[in-house]
Amino acid sequence: MSYGSKTMRELISNLWKWTVDRLERTTIVVYKFTVPKQYVSPFGFLGTLTAIVFAILGVSGAFLMFYYRPDVELAYLSVQEIQEKVPFGFIMRNIHYHASNFMVFLAILHLYYQYFSGRYKIKNEVLWVTGIVLGVLTVLEAYTGYNLIMNQRALLAVNIGMGLTYSAPLLGPSVAPILLGGGLFDLVIRFYALHVFILPLIMLLLAAVHFPRALVIDFPIISAVVGVIFISAGLFPAELGIKFDLTRGIVEVPEWYLTAIYAFLRSGTERFTAGALLPLLFVILFLIVPFVDKSRKLSWRDRPFFTGLGIASIALIAITTVWGFYVDFTKETAFDQLYIEPTVFYGTIGLVTLASFYATYLYMSRMRRPTRPTPTKPVILSPRASANIILVLLVLIALAAAATFYTYSVNLPNHSMFYLGISFFLFGLLLHVYRHALYTGERLRAQREQRAETIAQ
Amino acid sequence: MTARRRILQGFLTAAAVAVLSPFINLIGYFYRKEETSVRRQKIANLKELSPGSYIYFSYPATGDSKVDNDPFRQYVLIMTRDGQLRVYSRVCVHLWCLPAYIPTRGQMICPCHGSIYREEDGVAVDGPAAYQSYPTNALPMGRIEVDENGDIWMVGIEGRIGYGREWHALKPEDLVKKV
Repeated sequence: MSYGSKTMRELISNLWKWTVDRLERTTIVVYKFTVPKQYVSPFGFLGTLTAIVFAILGVSGAFLMFYYRPDVELAYLSVQEIQEKVPFGFIMRNIHYHASNFMVFLAILHLYYQYFSGRYKIKNEVLWVTGIVLGVLTVLEAYTGYNLIMNQRALLAVNIGMGLTYSAPLLGPSVAPILLGGGLFDLVIRFYALHVFILPLIMLLLAAVHFPRALVIDFPIISAVVGVIFISAGLFPAELGIKFDLTRGIVEVPEWYLTAIYAFLRSGTERFTAGALLPLLFVILFLIVPFVDKSRKLSWRDRPFFTGLGIASIALIAITTVWGFYVDFTKETAFDQLYIEPTVFYGTIGLVTLASFYATYLYMSRMRRPTRPTPTKPVILSPRASANIILVLLVLIALAAAATFYTYSVNLPNHSMFYLGISFFLFGLLLHVYRHALYTGERLRAQREQRAETIAQ
Repeated sequence: MTARRRILQGFLTAAAVAVLSPFINLIGYFYRKEETSVRRQKIANLKELSPGSYIYFSYPATGDSKVDNDPFRQYVLIMTRDGQLRVYSRVCVHLWCLPAYIPTRGQMICPCHGSIYREEDGVAVDGPAAYQSYPTNALPMGRIEVDENGDIWMVGIEGRIGYGREWHALKPEDLVKKV
């Protein structure tokens, strides 16, 4: 028996070696995958995390395609079916929805981390520009996705999108019918084609250019991110909304990454300027940064102007997003509830943006070059302590898994997702402690050997 | 580069352009034909109408109920209280709800946010649609023809559905032709 299993193991390892040897002829060896042996800050590989969430979206989206019907009347009903009748449908839809939010969020974090650490310069310009385009496509992908549900919120978004396209000078009137076709019955299929094929294909092609050659695959963090996606899905399960009804007016607010644009539209600013020109200016600002900031200084500390600009842009996004969610329920009609007084609106965003730029710039120009900070002592656990922690985590994961099964069996899928998220998160932690134990174990062994050597001498 | 080589390259480019030229109309693939070509469709006869009466219909009608029920194909034929014929898109230019014609008021009123349109030219006079800037504050209109038998034909659309109409440029009575 043991003999048999040994040959089996040999066979598998030989097959693995054989395959790896032949992979040298493919492009996959161009990428250098690194699995860190120690904790490294996840800010450095936010791009890989974004790509992994994109992969999760691809898989969960493919599952959804088995039931979704791109039809103006049936779309909502099919999503309802996925949500309420299809086994695991509720969970699959929530994974897809929350992963989409996380992808947008991680992409924004990625953008700003790279921005502040000056990674857009010194031969990184192509990486940077493709990254910005990928970011815009990510938002468009999310936009076409949430419109496929054909609920009231989707219709609002489609309405705004079509209005913006129509109002674009020159090309607008001829581009809008390409999206709209003969009516909503065409639109839903065209958005579907864009969402499931055309935009992801362009994104994959761009990603092939955007990927740097060294990729960090950090399993503990990946597991934790998956965990956080499930936890947020459990806490805020995706809603179905109300089926679109052309005889009923309700107050709706778009997804959080579009509320900033919505705020501009609601201030009564001319439609194209508010919804397309200003966001485009914002994107262009980021696109041209590597060609304006030509200094060879990388750290944010050495670039007070661009750091100030980055902080100001974050402030601008934050304040307009908050404005976008603002609804004055004391007013009577839906129209008045959503109206934003332009002087107040532009006043606050101007003030906040300028103040944050000026404050950052002032603070940084007065800031003295920091003396090298004393490195914080890393926490080192003895192998025994690590083993104990792993054991405790194992018990907790078992409990969370049991809770996942139990809540699912009593038809509480959102509780189930929450516990599943907890177990993924704890598993990430377990992986981290495991890795730590291996690393410190190795170091301890090396130290012991060294000591033995010196004693021998 | 020798002159001969340059000439050969010119031929090559010309040949490539010639081979690819039939694809120049590929962009047309994305437009439904009915959107770009004139289509005559009978709506009603004058005998069926009296001042203050109206008929809801879809245009261009295909016989496919899914297509014909699409809001973007819904129109209303109105004989206004002073006997004028008008055809309007039923999609409100504010948020795409379907306004209903109220003969007693001579107005189309949107059920969602209360936009009100005049029967004589489809321009919004109240509600959120009225606050929108020109040309997004008027309903698109149908071009119609009335023949010697009193049959009313819809022959085209003026404006962009769900968006608006350049109503300063064309008078509504110019969209009604007697043939």
